[in-house]
Amino acid sequence: MYQTKYHKAASFDDAVAALGAAEDGKYLAGGQTLLATMKQRLAAPTDLVDLRGIDGMVGISVDGDSVTIGAATTHAEVASNAALRAVIPVLCDLAVLIGDPAVRHMGTIGGSLANNDPAADYPAAVLGLNGTVITNQREIPADEYFEGLFTTALDEGEIIKAVRFPKPRRAAYQKFPNPASRFALVGVLVADTGDGPRVAVTGAGSDGVFRAEALEEALAGGFSAASLEGASVDSDGLMGDIHATPEYRAHLIGVLARRGVAAAG
Amino acid sequence: MDMTGEFRISAPRDVVWQALNSPDALRACIPGCEALEKTSDNGFSATVMQKIGPVKARFNGEVQLENINAPESYTIRGEGKGGVAGFAKGGADVRLAEDGGDTVLTYTVNAQIGGKLAALGSRLIESTSKKLAAKFFENFQTYITEGGAGRMS
Repeated sequence: MYQTKYHKAASFDDAVAALGAAEDGKYLAGGQTLLATMKQRLAAPTDLVDLRGIDGMVGISVDGDSVTIGAATTHAEVASNAALRAVIPVLCDLAVLIGDPAVRHMGTIGGSLANNDPAADYPAAVLGLNGTVITNQREIPADEYFEGLFTTALDEGEIIKAVRFPKPRRAAYQKFPNPASRFALVGVLVADTGDGPRVAVTGAGSDGVFRAEALEEALAGGFSAASLEGASVDSDGLMGDIHATPEYRAHLIGVLARRGVAAAG
Repeated sequence: MDMTGEFRISAPRDVVWQALNSPDALRACIPGCEALEKTSDNGFSATVMQKIGPVKARFNGEVQLENINAPESYTIRGEGKGGVAGFAKGGADVRLAEDGGDTVLTYTVNAQIGGKLAALGSRLIESTSKKLAAKFFENFQTYITEGGAGRMS
């Protein structure tokens, strides 16, 4: 084992200072990507600054028609929280599909969003439900947060505090997981929101999560699977790898969107 | 991995050809390039740092230019080693066509990628490669437009 200094931050200022003082530091929010990468020697930060002990980082609060989830809340907590299920059940349904039980009990929503893996589930939730990413400096709307493969609007050293979701009229998440990694080969979140339909796709875009505008336009005529008949997603700009071609992914997006709309009821 | 692409560069073909053969231009435009030196008439050595999500790896590589047909086409052949992260080796056929005052560059890459990076990151290699290529040509266009000064991102 090579040496890494571990800091447990007590406050945001504390975390920012520890990262700033480190030669090559990384924030730690659950470590389900970062620690695995370090074990493979594909990353070797000199310092890890653990954010989970900061006051107010863990927990789910419901305020009328909006829900705020602390950034260090684990996927397992999101999946099983009864108050959340009563307001935005799709978030519970999505969280229970992430990784395996070990990942769900250590991994956090803030960690997943800061990493912005192009096949992670939470980016689809934030973009599809039009959530807001709240940081130690500002609030970032979903449509401005995701900037491509592993890239977000977060500045160097900026920390996600929480994520706020407005309650949709109805929504569902449909995922076709890679059977080995449990990452989304394609994941589609469909939502009927006060501002019209939103369809967010993860796992498929070569530049990360995106909104399927063609499907959103089709759903604007009525939030039903029938509205999606004949609507399709262009395979241009979709990911191709040993698991699936861009055309296969494009087809899956249509299938999962129809299933999602039907499941949302 | 096989990859093809096409980029339009707003500059005459001679200018594009010269820049593609200039260590200064390449050093400025290759994303994450820390060092790049000419080692022979048609050879370069380079050090490139890549950060893809949580992964950070430094690659040392040797590149040779072959089948040189100035100012129309050449083949880049080379190998890069990234320590524990793995290696990449392969070639790219690059072709420049004149189109009015612009140059249309097309490339065909055939590369083998091995080691941990390939084992763990196979689902990301193609989209990452495309993103890096796009970044290179974006830098390249800026470099040429601004007359070859400075370091691109």
